[in-house]
Amino acid sequence: MTVTDSALARRNPTVKFALLFAVSVALLFVFDPFTSAALYVIALVAVIASSGIRPRALLLGHLPFVGVAVGLVLVNALSRPGVEVVRFGVLRVTEEGLEVGAALGLRTLVIGVLSLGFIVSTDGVRLMTSLHEHARLGLRVTYAVLAGYRTLEELPREWQLIRHAHAVRAGVDRRGRPRGGLGAFGRAAFALLVVSLRRAERLAIALESRGLGLSPRTTWRPVALTATDGVFAAGVIAVVGGVITASAAFGALRGAEVLAG
Amino acid sequence: MWKRLTLKDLVLVAVLGTVLGFLYWALVQAWTALSVLMGPAGDLAQHFLLGGWLIVAPIAVAIVRKPFVGVIAEILASIVEVVFLGSAVGPLLIVAAAIQGAGSELPFALTRYRRFGWAVYALSGLCGAGFVFFYSAFRSGWYGQDLFLLRLVVQLVSGIVLGGLLAKVVVDGLAKTGVVDNFAIGRELARKG
Amino acid sequence: MLSIEAVTVAFTRRRDPVLRDVCLDLAPGEQVLVLGSSGAGKSTLLQLVSGVIPHSVVATVDGTVTVGGVDTRDTTVVELSRTVGLLAQDPASGVCLPTVEEEVALPLENRAVDPAAISGRIDTALAAAGVGHLRERRTARLSGGEGQRVSLAAALVAEPAVLLLDEPTSMLDSAGVAAVRSAIASSVARYAPAVILVEHRLDEFAGRAGLDALPGRSIVLDAAGAVAADGPTREVLSVHGRDLIAAGCWLPLESELDAVFGGRSGAAPSHTGLSSPGVRAGLLEFAGATEIASPVLAATELAAPVLAATGLAVSRERRPRRTREPRRPRRGRDARPEPFAPVLAGVDLEVRPGEIVALLGANGAGKSTLLLTLAGLLPPAAGTVVGARPGMVFQNPEHQFVAHTVAGEIGFGLAPGPATDALVARLLDDHGLAHLAQQHPHRLSGGEKRRVSVAAMLAHGRAVLLADEPTFALDRRATIGVTSALRAAATDGTAVVFSSHDLRTVATLADRAVVIAEGGVVADGPVFDVLRDASALESASIELPALVEWLLQNAGSDAGVRRALLRLDEQVPADRPAVGQTAAVPSTVAS
Ligand SMILES: Nc1ncnc2c1ncn2[C@@H]1O[C@H](COP(=O)(O)OP(=O)(O)OP(=O)(O)O)[C@@H](O)[C@H]1O
Ligand SMILES: Nc1ncnc2c1ncn2[C@@H]1O[C@H](COP(=O)(O)OP(=O)(O)OP(=O)(O)O)[C@@H](O)[C@H]1O
Ligand SMILES: [Mg+2]
Ligand SMILES: [Mg+2]
Repeated sequence: MTVTDSALARRNPTVKFALLFAVSVALLFVFDPFTSAALYVIALVAVIASSGIRPRALLLGHLPFVGVAVGLVLVNALSRPGVEVVRFGVLRVTEEGLEVGAALGLRTLVIGVLSLGFIVSTDGVRLMTSLHEHARLGLRVTYAVLAGYRTLEELPREWQLIRHAHAVRAGVDRRGRPRGGLGAFGRAAFALLVVSLRRAERLAIALESRGLGLSPRTTWRPVALTATDGVFAAGVIAVVGGVITASAAFGALRGAEVLAG
Repeated sequence: MWKRLTLKDLVLVAVLGTVLGFLYWALVQAWTALSVLMGPAGDLAQHFLLGGWLIVAPIAVAIVRKPFVGVIAEILASIVEVVFLGSAVGPLLIVAAAIQGAGSELPFALTRYRRFGWAVYALSGLCGAGFVFFYSAFRSGWYGQDLFLLRLVVQLVSGIVLGGLLAKVVVDGLAKTGVVDNFAIGRELARKG
Repeated sequence: MLSIEAVTVAFTRRRDPVLRDVCLDLAPGEQVLVLGSSGAGKSTLLQLVSGVIPHSVVATVDGTVTVGGVDTRDTTVVELSRTVGLLAQDPASGVCLPTVEEEVALPLENRAVDPAAISGRIDTALAAAGVGHLRERRTARLSGGEGQRVSLAAALVAEPAVLLLDEPTSMLDSAGVAAVRSAIASSVARYAPAVILVEHRLDEFAGRAGLDALPGRSIVLDAAGAVAADGPTREVLSVHGRDLIAAGCWLPLESELDAVFGGRSGAAPSHTGLSSPGVRAGLLEFAGATEIASPVLAATELAAPVLAATGLAVSRERRPRRTREPRRPRRGRDARPEPFAPVLAGVDLEVRPGEIVALLGANGAGKSTLLLTLAGLLPPAAGTVVGARPGMVFQNPEHQFVAHTVAGEIGFGLAPGPATDALVARLLDDHGLAHLAQQHPHRLSGGEKRRVSVAAMLAHGRAVLLADEPTFALDRRATIGVTSALRAAATDGTAVVFSSHDLRTVATLADRAVVIAEGGVVADGPVFDVLRDASALESASIELPALVEWLLQNAGSDAGVRRALLRLDEQVPADRPAVGQTAAVPSTVAS
């Protein structure tokens, strides 16, 4: 698959995945804007530098979680009791609300941009292979996920086909277009489920009759796990740890207690 | 009855998760338009559909009827989403999935995977929604918000309806088509005649 | 190598067994062809050998199946895969991995083949299946035919001692069938595996070489799932030919003709099939049977078109798609940024009431895309389609099903009321579905599903009926059932457009043929004129079946060709009142 080569792309997928996971979990317990802001800037720079992601892709990739972040800021700012900053009619913005909202929003941005770097630099199939090799993920689970991915790739085509097949017999509205509605969606959804489950059974049979699970087995193109990956991991952990301790030292770091207000 | 999951079970469960994830996504597209119109309340609106995100686990459990299927189904679904759809939520999605999977499976586990009536499904949706709520409440900092209770109620109701009762409708429909004849549910029904 | 002893297989939900004390012994390197009508249990037999039954598919099995000396019950499908390679029915849906090379590498990895050797073997396997150029392709972007050939490569690559092939050519064009035949032949030549072949399209599969291209041994499964015959292919086909035709099986042309015209004087054993004087005489006699109303396109030119496409360009790609869905940044990654090019362009097509138009073209030529656009389901990339809203029958009936009963399926989308009920009842009778009215559509056999989807569409009485490969993977009786239903619809004034790779069916049914290739229409005219147009067929890599070719040269008139083909179809007794059979052909001629 065409994951453009880059420093980040050359790192072991499992290591990247584990790091992303670790950082995300660590951030769960950070509730102040400053730590998150610092981490976001660092993450952004690091991703741009190491993944060679195109600016356009970077911006487009930001859209979804920026949306989420804004939502978080808004709803917290508007719905938290505390010192009032401004008031528009019934709506009032509170200081606590703004702070918590900003913290959560920025956290979303950090995780988002890191995920983005992970996505553009990682081929899913290599990741699964690597998870099986380096993280002892069971062979059957690995290939079950890959089967899921196969289905995912076929879904848009199947879905379109089914919607078409149903539209032919559906009644038409004034503009002569087939009537849609929730009922039509439901029928098509069910048909998609049925067709996909048939496929699932065939996939499982195909995998087994091709000897999946025989041992010993070989791996055609094993995924590399090198010392560099160790260094990479150590580096990331050091940076994140460093930032958090620093902000703690400056007294900026806040934990879940802020929620209690 | 620690029956081991076969490849067939795992593939079925993964495909289930993928397809339902896709459909849920398609539904949310439509819904988002609406919730945007609702402005700040839009953040609340998304809760109405949350139950749809739970539906994988009860369906998988009802078809395969082995321990941990619900949890595994949710986890596989989230892995597919994180790894191949590149969800912006990142790997934390997997945590959420595991938690709600556990919630949805609990009621079935309590009946030792023997009873599949409306009540059990409803409970499943309730627990699923309940479990995951407190997790996301922590993640998204809902605690201490004025809306806290409202969110809880909306999500629980959505869980019961979309994540429980709807699951039974789907499962019964699938059983009629015969696509699940070769799974535990099919054997059960065949035995019942 | 393989031994099946008095095996009876019954599925939990069916009263009578699908296979009845079947016995079959296979020596290493021996090849056997399994003949039988749809539903006879051919696929079930292969699943039995591969261990899928009883390990993955729930069924009660009496008797013993041993493969390589191991009872399949005491082992697993995975272990059996060391000796058995299975190419399942509808193989395109058994493609498991995202890229072609990974797909073909998997069986080798599983057998612990040295990684250094794998790449080379992938190339050989793909080349053997005639799809070497697809190695780097994403499996999601393969057409049905391409996917089927990749699966074949994956089944052959690990060189299993027993090869199970279930309809390996069902969705292929002539070129594809030839490629599959040679792929199987080459691996047989290379390491002499035992082969069990199930195939409906025997005539195309045999090709010019005739019976010699088929496995040397054949077994026949009768409708009850018992072995009706087992012996050398020639012998089985000559002894049981008539029964097989009566049972609704496809036969190699040679055997079919000998069976139909057998016993005629002059059929010297050295001369069989088309080379036999007796057969030729018989065919000409059929062709001359003037009392048959031979429905070849007549006055319909006079009628005004009900559907007209002008300057039409069709494509699946909808341009905005590329840039939408930012939340899934990796979606675009394999969608190579090739410039937007329609599948077909500059298509002018007029369809008139009561005419049946056949749409011919190679795999991936754009038949389905064109039909979807004509149906108004895909927006034209350019040009216009004007006319009444057409109905459409899809290739996979399951995509159409919306209801929980056959009756409900046929009534779907119609205003409920006594009129509708009467209509549904009539269609159920006409299409021989009355006994299934309360069945769940998804639980029917392949042929039954197809009839339901046709009936359900006819219920809407649209002026135009489009059908995408309506006879795909059907046995001969089911095929005749569908074609006569379409003919009946046409006689009632419906315009019918259908795509097909089966030229014999085309020659039997169509009034007009449209050939698409090289991104446009290369021929459009009366069916027999088009079938005589060698260059057009060439450009679409379409190969005429020997029978059609001979009739075109010798039958004298187009009507004669049509009569001969219809008379041959009459040799298959309809198991139930199939609609239109009588409408198309007065029954007075039944010999
Ligand atoms: N899992 C199943 N449960 C119940 N009935 C089944 C099952 N699989 C197949 N059948 C039925 O068993 C019969 C034989 O099926 P099978 O697929 O072997 O037929 P076939 O000879 O392969 O037909 P075709 O040529 O259409 O593929 C059919 O009537 C089919 O409906
Ligand atoms: N859903 C889809 N999205 C994008 N491209 C597609 C899709 N389906 C088919 N194609 C491509 O469009 C082209 C025409 O496909 P189409 O299915 O119309 O061919 P066809 O003539 O019906 O082939 P076949 O005889 O195998 O059915 C092919 O190159 C195919 O790869
Ligand atoms: Mg079959
Ligand atoms: Mg097609």
